[in-house]
This record gives sequence, structure tokens and C-alpha cells, in this order.
Amino acid sequence: MSYRKNALTLSAGALALVTVLSACGNNNDDTSSPATSPSSSPSASAASSSASAAPAGLDTSKHVTLQFYMLGDAPKDLDLIQDEINKMAEEELNATVKFNFTTWTDWDQKYKLLLSSGQQVDLLFTADWTQYQAYANSGAFLPLDDLLPTAAPKLQEFVPEDMWEAVKVKGKIYTVPATYKEYVTNGFVYREDLREKYNLPVPKDLATMEAYLEGIKQNEPGMTPLAIDNVTDNLINPLRELTDHSVGAKLPYGIGIKYESPNDVYSYWGSEEQLSDLNLVRSWAEKGLFAKNVLNQKELSGDLITSGKAAAMLGDNPTRYNDNNMKMQSLHPDWKLGYTPYAEILGYATPVHPIHNGFAIPKNSANPERALAFYEKLVTDKRYNLLTQYGIEGKHYTVENGYYTMIGDSSSNGFPREGMQGWAWRNPEYMLFDQGYDGVKAIFDELDKVAKPDLFTGFTEDYTSYQPERAALEQVEKQYFYPLYAGLLSDVQAGIDTAMAKAKQAGLEKIQESYKQQWLAYTAEAGIQ
Amino acid sequence: MKIKEEKYSGLFKWIAYISVALTTLLCLLPFLLIVSASLTRNEALVREGYRLWPQEFSLEGYRMIFKFPERVLHAYGVTGLTTVVGTLLGLFFITMAGYVLQRKDFRYRNVFAFLIYFTTLFGGGLVPWYILFTKYLKLTDTYAVLIFPGLMTPFLIILMKNFIRSAVPEEVNESAKIDGAGDFRIYSRIVLPLSLPGIATVGLFLALGYWNDWLLSSLFINDTDMYQLQYYLYNVINTVSFMASMGGNGVSLGGSIPTESMKMAMAIIATGPILLLYPFVQRYFVKGLTIGAVKG
Amino acid sequence: MIKRNTFLREIVTNRMLFLMLIPTLLFFVINNYLPMVGIYYAFTRFDFSKSLFDSDFVGFENFEFLWRSGILTRLTLNTLGYNAAFILLGNVGAIALAVLVSELKLKWFKKLSQSVMFLPYFISFVILSVIVYNIFNYESGFLNTLLKGWGLNPVDVYSTPWVWVPLIIFFYLWKNLGYSMVIYLAAITGISDEYYEAAKIDGAHIFQRVRYITIPMLKSTFVVLLLFALGSIMKGQFDLFYQLIGNNGMLYNATDILDTYVYRSLKVTFDIGMASAAGVYQSLFGFALVMIVNTIIRKINEDYALF
Repeated sequence: MSYRKNALTLSAGALALVTVLSACGNNNDDTSSPATSPSSSPSASAASSSASAAPAGLDTSKHVTLQFYMLGDAPKDLDLIQDEINKMAEEELNATVKFNFTTWTDWDQKYKLLLSSGQQVDLLFTADWTQYQAYANSGAFLPLDDLLPTAAPKLQEFVPEDMWEAVKVKGKIYTVPATYKEYVTNGFVYREDLREKYNLPVPKDLATMEAYLEGIKQNEPGMTPLAIDNVTDNLINPLRELTDHSVGAKLPYGIGIKYESPNDVYSYWGSEEQLSDLNLVRSWAEKGLFAKNVLNQKELSGDLITSGKAAAMLGDNPTRYNDNNMKMQSLHPDWKLGYTPYAEILGYATPVHPIHNGFAIPKNSANPERALAFYEKLVTDKRYNLLTQYGIEGKHYTVENGYYTMIGDSSSNGFPREGMQGWAWRNPEYMLFDQGYDGVKAIFDELDKVAKPDLFTGFTEDYTSYQPERAALEQVEKQYFYPLYAGLLSDVQAGIDTAMAKAKQAGLEKIQESYKQQWLAYTAEAGIQ
Repeated sequence: MKIKEEKYSGLFKWIAYISVALTTLLCLLPFLLIVSASLTRNEALVREGYRLWPQEFSLEGYRMIFKFPERVLHAYGVTGLTTVVGTLLGLFFITMAGYVLQRKDFRYRNVFAFLIYFTTLFGGGLVPWYILFTKYLKLTDTYAVLIFPGLMTPFLIILMKNFIRSAVPEEVNESAKIDGAGDFRIYSRIVLPLSLPGIATVGLFLALGYWNDWLLSSLFINDTDMYQLQYYLYNVINTVSFMASMGGNGVSLGGSIPTESMKMAMAIIATGPILLLYPFVQRYFVKGLTIGAVKG
Repeated sequence: MIKRNTFLREIVTNRMLFLMLIPTLLFFVINNYLPMVGIYYAFTRFDFSKSLFDSDFVGFENFEFLWRSGILTRLTLNTLGYNAAFILLGNVGAIALAVLVSELKLKWFKKLSQSVMFLPYFISFVILSVIVYNIFNYESGFLNTLLKGWGLNPVDVYSTPWVWVPLIIFFYLWKNLGYSMVIYLAAITGISDEYYEAAKIDGAHIFQRVRYITIPMLKSTFVVLLLFALGSIMKGQFDLFYQLIGNNGMLYNATDILDTYVYRSLKVTFDIGMASAAGVYQSLFGFALVMIVNTIIRKINEDYALF
């Protein structure tokens, strides 16, 4: 009985001491995966690498210290890098910067506190998965439209116009998007060596995937054919992408929108589509193609694959596939993973949306102009950029044959590649890659050929009018739909009926209607047909 | 004491030994499972589950946490320091408060007890508390903020009050007063020595609170050299899980990341030293100690 | 005016006692009372561009999400039920263990068992949930491996809601018994030996001594534990439920408590107003309960009342 209560523990669950470990496991779709080819840099007009003075319109008469906040852990040699950066920034902008890191422990709570407490934060990382739009919408960030021309003209020019457009919320720019183009699109991941061994079909679509899984089940009884650590990310969302051409994996409230008909909004929950998807899931469950207790699964899907416990994943992105493959081969040289991008089935792939990585200036910034000018340096000035992405050349890394090579190993190196999680200020012109990433680059090159824009991520939902219903619906999905997602109920139709009845009670129709209005307004404004 | 076996005492002895032994075993088994898992290769753990004996021995979990050993030691240092200083200071304040609140001649003792207890019922939540400490008291990156919030809890104060009341008979208090001893003198010379089991208990709980704390580091510490142990360990694990789930940091890591065995190793590392505290506290749970002191 | 005078007189006569209480009062004013302005968040619409008291007052709008789902009653009853079991079984278990341990004569065994019983306290629920999953998962769990070995059918524990009621209570006890036992052990240590000697002379055997001396002497400690537990009866043990049950909606009817519901509801939005509203609901509930129970206790025996 721990009676150790502070004021802080009194404030209900949302602010309770939520165990950190749970938060990080399942970031499948919403986590950026870094690195790939610089082949496709979308315009890089400015970007001189020589030392340059501050922009003409900027007042640098007073010395300032900027508070910079990034997610994740600080690299060990951060102080070294910070000193180097400050030497330059002091001279060129009359500013010094303090690099702060939130760590991955409870970062979302800290994020909230940083923005709501009124303390000085001059630069803050933003992404769709850190609720960029919601924060921008509720006034947590400063609009940058008027600041850019005076404080960071070079940066304004460097980022293409269509990207500035894409990050706008209510017609204003609130973040500086990253210009590096990458894909976090899904693909089948499967054990290629087992496929060869048992002469199973190559998973090319759902039917061949199913045949592959059944083959594994037959020949390797000790294995779980399909790895799932999260029923939505690893099962339902990839499935919906394939069968229903869902416009975005994170469509909420049981809403359905197809990529090819973005103006047709329907209720996926309760539809024939859902019934057939869930029947398929149920049949897989009955055949034992995935573990029975997936709702309580503790290990990551990647671990299940690399340890040889499971054979395949329904959907994973190219970078992580490549990483798992290398990881696995270093321990089991005779094992091999295969990959089939969904693009081969769907006929298109969407690169990450500009909102996916960016930096904003919070409302409480003490020096917005200088902060933006500094960020311009970080992106466009080669010295700043290389230093903060890769560390000090000769100490932390070397460049061999155009490839990035780490000096020492992860325990002796004080600043590994992208050690500051600098995804947002990657400059495609300066980027250095590890040789192991050639495999990902090859996939990205293929995806580039069928690239189409992400229609979904730019949408900003305003849920203030249906907050209570939203909370109630969240509960309904977890309680009544999740068991269906996990294939636990024998009567799928009855399960859907119950869930729908509960969802309607919770206010499903009100939410869906309001969402639909907002969505249609968005597509009309963005000119999406 | 060579008298005949007392009625039922044999039966009682059997009940006592058997049930305590069973409970002990129940508490020990999962712990052994964790020790074993922390010494198992991660891959075997994921594939075959947990065993009481490592199926494939490996220290990779510990190695990952001790990647930068000086940092772990540093974090031990911070936690050790805050635990010692916080516990001593907290004990001083709590015993004083407990003593005052149990004094029958202290007219407003119930009002104050209520004011203290009230804080367990209502709280303003995390945000205003955070704002107060960062914006107004400016305690970010100080040892003070790692110590202050854990100094006392209403529960420990009331518990202390109870311990003192049952350990110090009212008459002792009165006779000391007649002898002309001041309140503080009675507290320091008579009440404290008599309340040792209570002090040991409350001290143990205070120390556990400091030892297990990670939230204060999480909220108020930016300087990596001031992280408490638990927070440091959580960060190592979260960083590794994050990297595992997002696919490296652009570098081929060469070898698997021991996500599972690392968690178990962390549990062991975090528990280790504080266990030594308990036997020390136990010394005060010997019957007769207090009564002897009163008579003497 | 008279009241004021007595207060002043009290300060003068007992100035040393006031002085000794000041650090504590200061602590609670800073750490608890000042931040209490935050309760007002529960009645406003949170806005980053406004300070707390400039924000729009919205009355009870933030409370709506609690009853909107239609399961507030169930959540409340679940929370109360589990906590009642924790309080009851926790205290009975702790008292029983403390009595038994205190009577052990073998020194090494007594010390060792106490230390070992404290071990679970250090195991976080995250770690525990991994262990539990390894015991109960359907395909390769320890339990089913055992059942299959005996030629029995495997059981699907994670799809059987009722099993989790005793399981959750068990794991709560498992983790916390060592901790609360120490409190009672310390209290038993404080009981004067003279009582026991006198009882022995009167011919009372050991069960009678426990029943008529030890147990009554632990009453005041029990009341303290009880009142503190009642105050937070609508809260607490979030990690236990969240880690063991997680996203398994199959089990929610039997295992969902207010804290887990609020957490899931607000995870994405993180709305401060709604979180505060839930906190206020929990606090009021606990407050009412404690006031009633404390008044009853005061009627029975003033010494035992908290305030």
C-alpha cells in the first residue's frame, strides 16, 4: 500500500504516472524512420556553405540565449557540439543556444507542460505524431508567415512553396517542414529463407500472403506465422489499406475514405467491407496464423521476427525492414527477410507529408526572430548542419567513398549518426548515409516511380465540439471492436452489431457527421478531387 | 523459562512457520525468474519465454545498461545523496510534526491534522505544480527540487503521530514538564529515543520513496549529470525500445538490441543496494527495546 | 473576538510547538495548497494563449465525458469494489503476517523472510505484466505448457474476464503486503511486554493473547491506514490495471476502473480541463466518504479519529 501521494498524483489518470515503457513500443506508422537517398531533394536553391552574416532585416544588437527542445536523449558529446555551434552563432547572430532534450520517458507529457507552463521555449520539434495540428490550432505556436521574410529569407526560399502550403493550419504557417523525402509506407515482410526451403509462394497480395502463412504453420509448428504486437498497426490498418484503399492509416471514428475517391466519406464501421475484413481476420485466427493473446502481446513485432519466433509481418516500412534484416543476419547469416511494398499491389506510394518533421516557435518564445534565424543556419549552413547531424568529422565519423562511417562503436562513440534526432533539419544536399542503407534507397527509388501525394495528413481536425463523445467512442472501440480485431469472437456479425449499437449510443453519428463536414471543407480548400 | 510446553503454542508455531515460508516462496519465485531472465540472451527470451534457469546465458542486458558505466555510477550517486539527505531532513520534520499533533494540550491539533490530511484528497494537478516549481521558485536543475517534494507525506506524519502516541505514555510527558523541561527538549531527549521502531519504519518509507523516484528528474532536470538512477535506467530502456521500434538511427547496429533482457536487468540494478537498507531497519523491530528505555 | 484571543493565547503558551510545526505547514502550503488553484482548470476551456483565470468558464462541460459513455456507474462500482478488496484483504493479510512473523523464534528465518517479502515491492508493474503474460499466454505460457503436459486442455486466461478479478487482487497483495506488514510489525513492537506477561500469568494461551492483546492494540494503526485508503478510494493502482490488462477490451467489464478509462479517453488530447474534472470527481467522492467514516469513528472513540 503505497500512500506516497503528491499533488501531482491526484490529478486523474491522464496525468498519472503512466508507465513509460508502454508508450514507446508501438510506434509503427507514426514514427519517422530516418535515412535514405539524397537523390530526390525537392529544390535546394539557396544554401551556401560559407560563413554568412545575419539577414539584413534582423536586429542582432542584443545578445540572447535560445532554448531549443528536441525529443529523445541527448548524445553523450552534446556539450562539445553545443560549444562549437555557439562559437559560430555568437559571432554571426549574437546568440547562443541551449540544446535541451525531453528523453523518450513521458515525452508527451513534458511536451504538454513545456507549452502550457509559459516557460521560455524558442524552438520545438513538431510532427503529426506530436499533435502538431492540434497544438497549432489551439494557439500554442507562433505563426511564421511574417517572420520568415525578415528573419530567415534563405530558409523561406529553401523550402518549396508547396511544402509551406501543406503545413498551413487555418491558413497560417506554424512549422518549418523538413525537405528530405522519405517513405514510411507499408510492405509485406517475410522470412525468405523459409519460403525457399518449403517452396511457398511469394507474398504478392493477400491471397498469396495467406498461403505463405499457412505454409509456415504447416512446416514450422513451433513458430507463430504472423507477428503482431498491436492489432491496429500490425493487422487492421495494413489490411484496410490493402482491401479498402484507405486514404490514411489513422482514420479515426470508424470513418472510411478511399484514396481514389477522397470526397466520398462513409462509415467503415458496420459496413460490408468491415464485415469481410473481420471475417478474414477471424479465419486467420481460427487457423492459428497469429497468436491468440495478441491484445496483451509484450514483445515488439520486430523482435519476434529477428528471434525466429514469428515468420512474417503484414505491414512494415522499408527502413525498418532493412534494419531488421541486417540485425537478423548478423546473428543468423543463413536467415533472410523478403519485402513486398504495397505499392506493387496498390499502384501508388505516398512519401511522408511535410508535417511529419518540423520545428515550430512556441508562443512563449522570448526571441522568435533570432530563433528562426538560428534555425535557418541549422538547415542551410553546411557547418551547422553537419556538426549537429553527424558530430565532428575525424572524431565521431569519417566519410569513406561517399559513405558515412562511424568511428568506434555505439558504446565508445559520443555522437552517433543523427545523434540529436535531427530529422527535421536534414538537408538533402548535405546528407551522409551508411552503406547498409543502399537497400532502402533502392526501395525508395522504386517507390518514387509511383509516388502520389499523401492526401490525409494535412487535414486538421477540430474536435472541440465533440470531445465527450470522442472519449466515449474511444472506449467503445477498445472494448467492443478490439476483440473483433484480434479475431477472438466466433460470431463476427453479432460482434459488429453489439459494437455498433454501443458506438451509436456514444454518439458515433454526431462525430462522423462533423468529421465529414470538416473533411469535405478541407478537400474543397486543398483542391483534392 | 524451563516450563512445560504451553497450550497451543506448538500448533501456533507450525502455522507461523508454514504460512510465512509459503508467502516467502511466493515472493521469491517471480524475483528469481527476473534474475534468470536478466541473464538470458534476449533472443532466447523472446522465442522460448522465461525460465528459472537461463537457457542461453548472456550478460547483454547488463552490458547495454552499463554502456557508459560512469553515468550509471553518477546516477547512483545522485539517488544516494537525495535519499540520505531527504530521509534525514524528512524524518526531522515528520517527527516534530507527529509529536506536536499528538500532544493533548495542543489546542488546534485536529485543525492542523485536517489541513494536512486534506491535501491527500484534493490536488491541483500536475500543471500548476510544475509551473510553481519552474517559473516561480526557479528550481529547475537543482538538488532542492529532487529533495523537497519527497520530504513528507500526510500519511507518514499521521503514522508517526500514532507511533509516538503509543510509544510515549502521557505520564512521561507530564512528569518531564513538571521537571521544567521545554517542549523541544522533551521531544529530542525523551520522545525520539522512545519512538525508534516508528522512526525506523517511517525512515524506511521515506528512503524507498526517494530511491524509487523518477518523476522529479523527468519534470525538472535537463542536466544529464543530475538524473536519478531510476530515471536514468528508464531512459536507457526507452531509448533502446524507441530505436528498436523505429529502426536504428541510420546506422547498422550489428547485433540485436536486447529489449527484454535489458528490462529485467534494470529491475535488478534498481533494486540491488536498497535491499541492504532493510536489515538495518529490522534491528529496531526487536521487542522490549522501547519499554526498557522508558524504565531506564 | 474571543476566538481570536484564544488563538493568540495558544500561540503564546505553545510557541515552541507551533515553531516545530512550521516546517510542515510551510511544506504543505507550497507543495499542495498553492497548486490547488489548478482545480479551477476543471471548469474552464483550456487555451494556450490565455492564462488560467482568463480562460473561458464552461461550468460542468468538462465533466460530460465521464458520463457520456454511459459506463460511469460501472467504472465507479469497479473502482470501489477493487479498492474495498484491496483495503480489506490487504489489511487482514498484513496483520496476519505481522503477527506470525513477530512470533517467529528462528532469528535468521525471521530476518530473511521479511526481506524477501519486501522484494515484490521493487518490481514495477511493467515487469510484472511481462511475467504474468509468460505464465498465462495461450500458446506458450507456463500454465498451459503444464496443463498440456498433464494431458489436459489448455485454458485461455486472457479471454476469461472473471479470472482477472482474483488475479488482480492477488497481484496487488503480492506486491504490497511486505510494505504494509512493516507498519504493523512496528506497531506490534511498540506493544508493552507487560501486557503479555500479565496475560500469561492469567493462563491465556497464544491465540487468546493475539486475539485480546495484539489485535486491539493495532486498531489505531488500522484506522489510519483505512482513512487514507478511503480518501483515495476512487483513484489509484492505475499501473496495476493498465499494465496487466492494457488494450484487452474483452476484459473491461470486469477490470476497467475510472483511472484507466480517463487515461484512454484523454491519451491523445491530453485535455487539462477534462483531466482536472475527473480528478475533482474522484476527490469529492473520497472526501465525502472520509468525512462520514471519520465522524463515525470519532463517535466511537475520539482517539482513533484522524482529525
